[in-house]
Amino acid sequence: MRAVRWTATATAALVLVASVAMAQEATTLGGYGEVHYQNKSGPNTPGEVNLARFVVFLSHTFNDRLAFRSELEVEDAKVAGGSPGGEVALEQAYIDYRLGSRATLRTGLVLVPVGIINETHEPTTFHGVARPAVDHDVIPATWRELGVGLTGTLGAGLNYRLYLVNGLLASGFTASEGIRDGRQEGREATFANPSLTGRLEYARPGLKVGASFFSGGTAGGDSLVGTGWYDAPVTVLAADARYDNGPLALRGVVATASLPDAASINRVYGHDVGRRIAGGYVEAAYDLLSLAQHSGPERLIGFARYEHFDTQASVDRGVVRDADNARRHVTVGLSFLPIANVVFKGDLQFRRTDGPASSLQVASLGVGYWF
Amino acid sequence: MRRVVCGVLVAGVALCLGPPAAGAQGAADRVAASVQRVWGRGAVADTVPVDSTAVLRVSRDGHPAGWGVVRNVRGREQPITFLVAVDTGMRILDVDVLVYREPYGGEVAYESWRRQFRGRGPGDSLRVGREVRGISGATISVNAVTLGVRRALADLAAWRRAGRLNQ
Repeated sequence: MRAVRWTATATAALVLVASVAMAQEATTLGGYGEVHYQNKSGPNTPGEVNLARFVVFLSHTFNDRLAFRSELEVEDAKVAGGSPGGEVALEQAYIDYRLGSRATLRTGLVLVPVGIINETHEPTTFHGVARPAVDHDVIPATWRELGVGLTGTLGAGLNYRLYLVNGLLASGFTASEGIRDGRQEGREATFANPSLTGRLEYARPGLKVGASFFSGGTAGGDSLVGTGWYDAPVTVLAADARYDNGPLALRGVVATASLPDAASINRVYGHDVGRRIAGGYVEAAYDLLSLAQHSGPERLIGFARYEHFDTQASVDRGVVRDADNARRHVTVGLSFLPIANVVFKGDLQFRRTDGPASSLQVASLGVGYWF
Repeated sequence: MRRVVCGVLVAGVALCLGPPAAGAQGAADRVAASVQRVWGRGAVADTVPVDSTAVLRVSRDGHPAGWGVVRNVRGREQPITFLVAVDTGMRILDVDVLVYREPYGGEVAYESWRRQFRGRGPGDSLRVGREVRGISGATISVNAVTLGVRRALADLAAWRRAGRLNQ
């Protein structure tokens, strides 16, 4: 009798407590942003200040299985008719449908899960006022495309993402910025080249390592390049690692993009696109306040990053390789976080190329936030 | 042969999907499973209302075994639902992530991260990057859950001191 009474009490108690665990239908607002000040070396180069990003998150939870998530971005503060620069764009907009504990169906404008910065780019999560250049010219962050796929955990510390998305467009590829301008970013995108992208990562406290890929055709139905779904293919492979041990944080990324049909792309569009685009960076950071046994939430982090990348790591015969596309950036600086959501940054960047371009120093200051 | 292939495919899909997502009863089942896992089979629970919280009071074999609270803390966008379980000496037995809804950062549910809280008491400092190791790419969730655990532990300790957990 006693056992039955206990069981009934226990069930009632659990249902009462579990009511907390039920998702309430709710709409959430959040955002992040960053202001940059940059001063380049050389004569007649006044400093420039820019509200680089203002991003609003809007998400809605329908129930425990269904949620909508979006990020709307204004770049460079203002978009005006007739004047260049500025951008208003959706960075993400998708529906997550939780099928089970190991799989969520994701549909819409999704982030291509390659490298570190493309998926995690709030200003408090990386050092340096500007994002690493590798995440601009090798991995074209913020890289988002329309598609559908699955994401989830496999147990034993393994996570995966696997999406089918629209392909890149070879017509936008360039010698100095690689595949960057080939992104379609959800705007009336052609689905002539369905592409596959995915990521497998292993995580445990203090360590995360990931391997990712993107592969698909880029002809976009242009009969001069090819009408097949895998014509003029591009394959991006990347590996990344992050290690955090209290005050010390290390991270590194390597990535390569192969374009075996670069010759025909260059013939049709008159570009000098590399047959292979490659690069990577390593970065070390240390919380200097930990040396003073500081007990508050503030962090003052010194960091150094070395980047080496080449958007023409190899070229086809007939293409004159521009050695200025082989670039090396060394960045040293400080990030001060009074709380985890706000960062003040300052850094010095030393840029060199293998070519005749003179080396350049860039001093930057910035402030960033997310909430 | 075809039957074997079909069987493997079905098993693969089932493995991929995992257990079904939590509904109303699912959430209660999840709390029940968590209580059984933390305190062992035979653990029973009732609730003690304290302020706006229903504190789980757990006993085993007729003896008090500890308390638990289920709470939500906001991650980047969505609430993360977690349970903090303490023994009668107010030491954390475990932290369980019951429902994780964010698109990135689910690593806070991993045992390897949660076990850092075990044995910690109300007098212990719990700071990310110091006593609690973070997980890259899950920073927001790590900060949120750590803060939530700290608050839950402080509340439980205060309620215990005020004699409100044994009404």
